[in-house]
Amino acid sequence: MGATIRAIISFLIFVLLHYTLRPLLGWRAPMDFLLIALLLASVRVRPGTAAVIGFVVGLVSDSLAPDALGAGALGMTVVGFSASYLKAVFFADNLMLNAFFFFAGKWMFDIIYFGLEQRMHGVELAQQLVLWSPLSAAVTATVGVLLLFLMRPLLEPTPA
Amino acid sequence: MARAVRSNNRIDLFLLVACGLLALLARVVPVSMREPVATGLRRTFMSPMVMLQEWAETSRHAMVLVESKTAKRDSVALSAMNAASVDSENDRLRKLIGLGARLRWGFVPAEALHSRGVRDETTVILSAGARAGVARFSPVIAPEGLVGVVDAVDPTMSHAMLWTHPDFRVSAMSADAAAFGIAQAHLTSATGGYLIEVRGVPFRANLKPGALIVSSGLGGVWPRGIPVGTVIQEIKTTEGWARTYLLRPAVFPADVYNVMILRLERVAKEFDGVWPSVAAADAAAQRIVVAGDSALKEAALAEAAARRAVMDSVNAESFARPATDSTGAVITPAPPVRRAPRPVVQDSGPPLIRVRDTTRRDTIRRDTSRIDSISGRPRGLR
Repeated sequence: MGATIRAIISFLIFVLLHYTLRPLLGWRAPMDFLLIALLLASVRVRPGTAAVIGFVVGLVSDSLAPDALGAGALGMTVVGFSASYLKAVFFADNLMLNAFFFFAGKWMFDIIYFGLEQRMHGVELAQQLVLWSPLSAAVTATVGVLLLFLMRPLLEPTPA
Repeated sequence: MARAVRSNNRIDLFLLVACGLLALLARVVPVSMREPVATGLRRTFMSPMVMLQEWAETSRHAMVLVESKTAKRDSVALSAMNAASVDSENDRLRKLIGLGARLRWGFVPAEALHSRGVRDETTVILSAGARAGVARFSPVIAPEGLVGVVDAVDPTMSHAMLWTHPDFRVSAMSADAAAFGIAQAHLTSATGGYLIEVRGVPFRANLKPGALIVSSGLGGVWPRGIPVGTVIQEIKTTEGWARTYLLRPAVFPADVYNVMILRLERVAKEFDGVWPSVAAADAAAQRIVVAGDSALKEAALAEAAARRAVMDSVNAESFARPATDSTGAVITPAPPVRRAPRPVVQDSGPPLIRVRDTTRRDTIRRDTSRIDSISGRPRGLR
């Protein structure tokens, strides 16, 4: 099976988990499987393509919250592009770096998303961005690393 | 090579800027324009995802409900388990309230606190003391009867000796005051628990099992008429001049949690109607028996009258039509034998039985003829 197909399957699994496991758990600081999927896809493609993937994924997920339409798309676009660009710059590949990517990517996405959404203001927004977003980012990073470990056979590049 | 890389970078930047602008555009357009886009995406790409999310939300809701339902079911089960003890306690408290209403005055309600110690079976701490009017030798009673006597008093609590205590004695008598004795604890065995024995009952007095024994009021500590127990049986002792009876206690100390302490001024007054009188119960039983006899007597008289009416009508019919034999000849009836009228017995049972006996005797006359038909039988066997 080609690396592209395996990457697509992994991407779909993460999307599926986002709409099944996440609402099933119903945590106050939830993990973001869509962001993990985007980051895993972004490091395999060029920054421009990652931006497009991020835009599409963000726009589709925003459709469930029409008031925030565009906010998630912009956040995902920026995060996808940044992940792909940074991956190209550093060429690093280890679990800790991936965890950092997940954490930073999620936090960045939340900052852009809640900033553009304009649903929260003042203390509430600060509490969300300083408390709940880092918590959610940490959970996302933990779950992302765990899933990377579990899905290593599916995500590893094909040996030459 | 470098030119290609530069070109790719430009494309990437172009895509980034384009996507960013589109996203911002989606953010700033009016709701009326945003809504169709969102709806279209929901109905196409997101439709299966929405379905999955709905399923997940429902499952989560069900799980939360299961927890709450389980909690409710556990609460109900726990309540059901406690219901029996609560009912029992309610029943006991109602009895205690009833006792208080009958006593009217001169008592102190108290809780009996079992120390669960070595002497737990013979003593108890009461939650009322001298400030509430409790004094030494104040009788302690329960709705069922005698419990013990206060032997030490503190300002806020007191210490009572239960009837199981080896030093406890109470003058007792039968409910009809025909026999007197001294009641004290009787240890049935090392682990068998306590009963009560009444010693010194006069030899001429014979108490039946089930007879109620109450306090006699002699001695001044206990008022007259408090139930002590019911007779189980007579027990043999070395005292040949008097009888000793074993009683089932009216109150078992282990069941005592709420009691009444009688004040000393109340002890000197009358206790009529506080506990149901055995004599009154006997009179009520007699009335019931008499009423039952009257009903039986009336029924028997009615049945006899009906039977007589039927017999008279049969006789009248047989007199009106002449009887014939097998040849068609008319049989002249024999003159009727006038019997003396049977006197009506005033007792209820016997008339009915006698009427039935008469009928039965008529039907077994054949045996007499059979005996007559046996030849050679001695006359004495008839």
